[in-house]
Amino acid sequence: MGHNKGRVSEIRLETGRHMEVRIACPAGAIPSAGQYLLASDLDNLDNVLGIPLFAVEKYQHGFWATPQYPVAWTPGTTLDLVGPLGHGFDLPHNLQRLGLVALGETVSRLMPMVHLTAQAQGGMTLFTDLALPLLPTALEIYPLASLKEALDWPDFMALDVPLTRMVELRDVLGLSYGTGLPYPAQVLVTTPIPCAGMAQCGACAVPSRRGWKLVCEDGPVFELNSLKW
Amino acid sequence: MAKHDLAFDPPIMNAAGSLGFFPDLHGPIDWGTLGAFVTNPVSLTPRTPARGSRFQAYPGGFLLHTGYPNPGMSQVLRRHAGHWRGSPLPVIVHLLGQGIEEVAKMARRLETVEGVSGLEVGVVSDANAEMVVALTLAASGELPVIMRLPMERSVELAAAAIQAGAVAVSLAPPRGIIPAKDGELVQGRLYGPAILPLALRMVQLLTQLGIPTIGAGGIYTPEHKKAMLTAGALAVQLDGLLWRAAGYTSLM
Repeated sequence: MGHNKGRVSEIRLETGRHMEVRIACPAGAIPSAGQYLLASDLDNLDNVLGIPLFAVEKYQHGFWATPQYPVAWTPGTTLDLVGPLGHGFDLPHNLQRLGLVALGETVSRLMPMVHLTAQAQGGMTLFTDLALPLLPTALEIYPLASLKEALDWPDFMALDVPLTRMVELRDVLGLSYGTGLPYPAQVLVTTPIPCAGMAQCGACAVPSRRGWKLVCEDGPVFELNSLKW
Repeated sequence: MAKHDLAFDPPIMNAAGSLGFFPDLHGPIDWGTLGAFVTNPVSLTPRTPARGSRFQAYPGGFLLHTGYPNPGMSQVLRRHAGHWRGSPLPVIVHLLGQGIEEVAKMARRLETVEGVSGLEVGVVSDANAEMVVALTLAASGELPVIMRLPMERSVELAAAAIQAGAVAVSLAPPRGIIPAKDGELVQGRLYGPAILPLALRMVQLLTQLGIPTIGAGGIYTPEHKKAMLTAGALAVQLDGLLWRAAGYTSLM
């Protein structure tokens, strides 16, 4: 588990007023797609817990991050960084057609997948009803309602779903109980992770086919079929 | 730490439920800065996580309602007793005080486990003094026993615990209710700097009564720790601060 110092170098509000923060930090601290980094401003108790940061886009000396909660940081704020933590997305080597599904409050956590798979031969499609930032032209966008009809198109699907909305997922995908997707799918489950794996406190527990799993250390990315949903 | 010896050096430890079941030597905590390690709460049989909303933030803190999930005493011993044996600091096993027989069974079993230096028994929030006495007696044996009392009722219950043989009392997080965004009223334990004033008052009242007290609740800065020791605590327990990871070291 890495432990580093970082610095907020820029803050921007994306479409939908979702905050993104540019963090200057060592390369080894940058989380891969779906992983998170725990960040704390030790001089400020406004955030009494560490803030999970997900990568949006890497740059030479750091990365653009999307915080899980609003933060009171300003450019120049020094951050204590622990991580990267958890399991991220693991894309198949022979990926042709990538389907992305965003049910959370932002599409940002899925953006590293777009950069990673820009070479996907068959294309990339994002299904969401969220307001969108500027996105690469190679990415096609469709509303969630069209997902049922397009369900056979991808050969891999990456989803971003709040734990509280996992119960809706079957309806969103148009799948009846007992059926699954005909290709691999991984889901980034978002939920508060207060202990970030330090305590196995259970606040982020999610039911799986093999008992309870913790989003903070077993996830936050899971094989969709390994979860009960 | 021998029986009845509560010389924590330094006088600081984690609270039950804040750092898992064993001191993870590969994690970010500098264990040399703690005087003891307290395990996550352990029950005789497995407990699953609570259903429904388990976390709510509020200004100055947060509420947790986790159900104290754990795999049960047998699995905890199988997975973690080896770590306790090799721990660089004294290990105090926290027992969920759900029932007198259950606590007695777990305590007797732990007396034979190498590396266990003491027991902390968590008292349920609606316990009365008779229950506290019974739980203390059930836990008492070869290991020193700390009774973790509901913070709001600690003054009422502490004397019973000490008279029954506990070497000290510690303070469980106070319970509260927070309305969720959907209007649901979520109950649980309260953490964060916002509860420090309540915790300090309880520590002061307890120590004025001559009760050996391990202070806990809302300690997030060196000043908070100092205030707790000044109020008479013989040691302090940290909780949410440790989840800010390296932030903990700033206390030293």
